[in-house]
Parts: sequence; C-alpha cells; structure tokens
Amino acid sequence: MNHPTPARPLPPAPSFVASSLRIMDLSISEMLWSRRTVFMLLIVSAPVLIALFVRLLVGLGAPLFEETRNGVTTVRMTGPAIFGMMIWIFYLRFTVPVLGVFYGTSLIADEVEDKTITYLFTRPIAKGAVLVGKYLAYLVCTVFVVLPSVMLVYLLIVPMQGSLGGSFLDLLKDLSLLALGLAVYGAVFAFIGAKFKRPLLIGLIFIFGWEQAALAFPGYLKYYTVAYYLQALVPHAMPNDSTLSMIQGIFRQTPGMATSLLGLFVIWAIFLSVAAWVVERREYVLEQ
Amino acid sequence: MTKKTRYFMAGSAAVLTAGLGTGLVAYFVGGFTPVSAAPIANELRYVPADSAVIAYADVRSIMDSDLRQQLKAAMPMHEKGQEEFQAQTGIDIEKDIDYVVAAAAGPTPEAGGLVVARGRFNNTQLEALATQHGGRLEEYQGKRLIHSPDNGGQQMTLAFLEAGLVAIGTKATVQRAIDAQMSSRSVTGNSEMMDLVAEIGNSSNAWAVGRFDTIAQQAKLPAEIASRMPPVKWFAASGHVNGGISGTLRAEANDDASAELLRRQVSGALAFGEMVAKSDPKVGALINSLQLSGSGKTVALSFTVPAELLAMIPAAVERH
Repeated sequence: MNHPTPARPLPPAPSFVASSLRIMDLSISEMLWSRRTVFMLLIVSAPVLIALFVRLLVGLGAPLFEETRNGVTTVRMTGPAIFGMMIWIFYLRFTVPVLGVFYGTSLIADEVEDKTITYLFTRPIAKGAVLVGKYLAYLVCTVFVVLPSVMLVYLLIVPMQGSLGGSFLDLLKDLSLLALGLAVYGAVFAFIGAKFKRPLLIGLIFIFGWEQAALAFPGYLKYYTVAYYLQALVPHAMPNDSTLSMIQGIFRQTPGMATSLLGLFVIWAIFLSVAAWVVERREYVLEQ
Repeated sequence: MTKKTRYFMAGSAAVLTAGLGTGLVAYFVGGFTPVSAAPIANELRYVPADSAVIAYADVRSIMDSDLRQQLKAAMPMHEKGQEEFQAQTGIDIEKDIDYVVAAAAGPTPEAGGLVVARGRFNNTQLEALATQHGGRLEEYQGKRLIHSPDNGGQQMTLAFLEAGLVAIGTKATVQRAIDAQMSSRSVTGNSEMMDLVAEIGNSSNAWAVGRFDTIAQQAKLPAEIASRMPPVKWFAASGHVNGGISGTLRAEANDDASAELLRRQVSGALAFGEMVAKSDPKVGALINSLQLSGSGKTVALSFTVPAELLAMIPAAVERH
C-alpha cells in the first residue's frame, strides 16, 4: 500500500523588514542605472562644475572674492558664504525636492507602467513592504549621489577665504539636513505616487507652487510644508536672490531645532505609513 | 545588487569618507587656511565683521597656572562672590569655563562688547534662574536668548549658541553675533586680522588683536598726542601665563617709515627706563627682558615677567 508523500511544509513568509530589505536590494541597481539617474547626475554635477570653474578663476588670479579701494584690499565674499548660498539655491530649494518628486512619485507608478507590479504583488510578502523597500532603495541611491556632490563643492569652495575646519560643523549639519530632506520629501511623494494619478504633476505643483506660496505669506499655511521645517535647520543665511525669496525672508519664521525635527519626523512617519497602507489596499488595474 | 552598483556605492562612500576625514582633521588640528589655524575658529564666526578688537583668554590654563595658584595661596580670593555667582547662574568659573573670546565695538554706535564663552553650561538651570529673577526668554534665529530685566540700565542678553557655547552682551550685540554666524559675514572674513590671530593664537593663552586706528579714534586722544603718534594700523598683544608671564606687543604700521619712527620712539623709552631702573635691580631685570624687534612695517616688543618678580606682588599688596 502506497502512502501519499506528505506535502512539504511551506516556508514561513519573510517578515515585513526582511521583505523590505530584499525589495531594496533588488531595486537599487534598477533605480541607479535608469535614465532618471542621468537626470540626477546632471542636477548634482552642476554645482560641482560651477565650484570647479570658480576655483579655476581664482587660481588664475581673478579677484572674485576681494576688492581693492584706495590701495586697501578687503574681502568681499568668503568661501563659506558661497558654500552656504550654494546649499540653499542648488540643493535645498531645487535638488532635494526635485529628486524627491521624480523618484518618490515613480516608486509604484513605474512598476504599474511597466506592468511588472503583478510579479511583486504575487510574492508572499506584504504589499506595503514593496513600497517601503523601493523607498529605501530611492533613499540609498539619492543619498549616495547627492552627498558626495556636496562634499566636492565643500572641498572646492570653502578654502577660498575660509576654513575647512571652521566650516566642518556646518558641513555635518548640511549633509544631515539634506539626507533628512530626501527622506521626508521621498515619503511625501511616495504617498502621492501611490495614491494619485498624474503624481508627477501634483508633485511639481506641490514643490514649486504650494510650498513657495505658503512660505511667502504670513500665517499658519507654512506649517503644512516640508520646507518650513527643513529650512529652519540650515546653518547658513537665506539668500535674497529673487523677489520671492525676499518676500519669504520677510515673513520667515524659524522654529526651534526640536520643533523642526519633530515636524519632519511626523510628516515622514505619517506619509510613509499612509503610502504603505494605500498600496496594501489599492487594486492596481494594468492597462492592456 | 550588481557588481557595478557596488563599485558605484563604494566610490561614493570613498568621496564622502575622504571629505569628512579632511574636514575632521582640519577641525581638530587646524591648518589649510589661516582661520582654521586658530583654535577658536568656530567662536570667531560669531564675532561681527566690523569688530575693532578681538581678545581671547584660555581661562582653564590660566586658572590652572602656577602663577594663579601662587597668587591664590598668597592672596586668598573672596570666594563668596564666586559662590554666589555659581548659585545664581550654575556656572563655576573655576571649572565650567574653558575659554572666552571677547570682541569690542566696531565703528557703529549700537555695537557693544561681546563675550563668547566655551564651557559646560546647564541651560535649563540658567533659564530657570533667569526667569525667577525677572528675565525674559526669547528665540532668535533658532537660538535661545535670555534677556536680563530692564531696570533702566543696560539690559544684558545671554544666548545659547551651541552646546557648550554661550554669548553674552547687549541684545543688539548678541543678535548681530548670531547674524554674523548665520550669514558667514564674521570677522573671519578679515584676512589681515585672521593672519595676526593665526600667528599669535597658537603660542599664547591670552591675546588681543585689533585695529589701532579705530581704537585711537574712539579713545579721543588729545590732539597733541594723536598728531605725534606714528600711524599704526594693527596691534597685537599676546601673553603666556604659567609660572611667570611672557608676552609680545606688536604693531603693524601703515608704512616702513612709520614703523621706523615707532621703533626709534620705543627704543628711546627703553633707554630712559634703563636709566631710571639702575637703582632697583629687580625693575632693571624687567626692563632688560624687554626686547625690541621687527622689520618692515612690524614693530614688536617682547617681555618676560619672572615668577620671582610676581611673587613680590602679594607682599606689596599686604604692605599697602
């Protein structure tokens, strides 16, 4: 009498964290070598090239930082001040939110567009872990591209009429807040990407419309922006390089460090959790 | 993760590590530029750009110096005031303050004196004590400020700049200090002043550097004296306190001729001093320790006050 072979027990499903890390591992290379990364490299290499050009001009003797009046040479601008302006203008106001929009909104949208989301969702892992894993991959990719660019700008610009050592603490603050900005903007746009159609358009309206307008008006609207909390952590003075930034400077309120960090943490936690929840519950219909 | 991705990430991490390592070395050791050579580069960034004088005192090493211990033993200080100050503020001057950087007013009338102190401060206790005594708390550019009560006199403000770093001065001065750091428009942008700081800062535990012409202008010297003084732009005074006191007074004249005139004047004063001190060998030893040097626009006068001479101070005080 033949006894039927007992079915091999299924291995237990991996935990949420293990699933997220596995998805991250799978997604990093895909994300890093995509066409979007070319765009990212263009964005982050611009300040490095500018810094290199300035350094070259100063090396050739161009009086960019000094002016001589009546035989007396005075320092007009210092390297640390220019570095601070570059952090504001290139990184904080542009690179961080724009990368957040382009990568954050595409975390799920790309899989839907490529019709590959089914392969991920049929694995024995929580759907939310797919989003969290892809979010972690985004964070690793952007941090490993943006922060070295900041480091190169620091090494090129700060020593001109300034001091590497004297600006080192500011550099640490800058690197931390840029990483924090990428994390928080990424979480916000991951939610927008998971929830809405045309997430890229909504994201661009959010960073170049809503955030800019809310910061330019007095009142409580600015509390509902990421920039309000993030800009409070910047150790450099806000440059008044345009009419809008001058108006923003007039109505600028600076919350304390604890308030800013708490605000950013709350935004990050809420949006990432809600994004994972949306992905868990939503039925993605693939176009034939 | 593919091999290509691993290489990319290793490259990025290498750039980050190299940059952070360079910055860290520059932060702790100094170097690369004159400003970072100063051990107080971070504190100087709070000193407004138009300050006429910057001074520094390594409170810790002066407090621990043999000279101070001898003076303390010979002339017991009034400990009560110190204890009262500690009870009021939570700051033990003997132990809690490492060093101070002071800056004196620039040409603008609203600018006052500023003191930036590095040490160990109990922020909560300081805030609680200030509130108890009618002080007012305020936040400015993300920094906590404590304003003393306005009793008709000069209102003082204490600001917590960073962990272990406070600024004390008038409200306007402290706010200007914070603005200077935020805007990177501090005295560190003044390369001439920073060159002097870098030269004297590493070898002494107390020093002062300033614009002589601005100070002379503010001091409102009698016209007769002012007209006969050679035009001096910068001055620097540095001292090292341990068993005795050694130091250097240095002046940077506007041109070589002014420096030569100043050297002749100082030389004459030294000759007169030697003549007067012939009757007293101890004062004679002090005068003999004065060394005039310098070339070009620089005039320097170095001196040494030996411990034996300083040991006479308590006895002289007792006699009076």
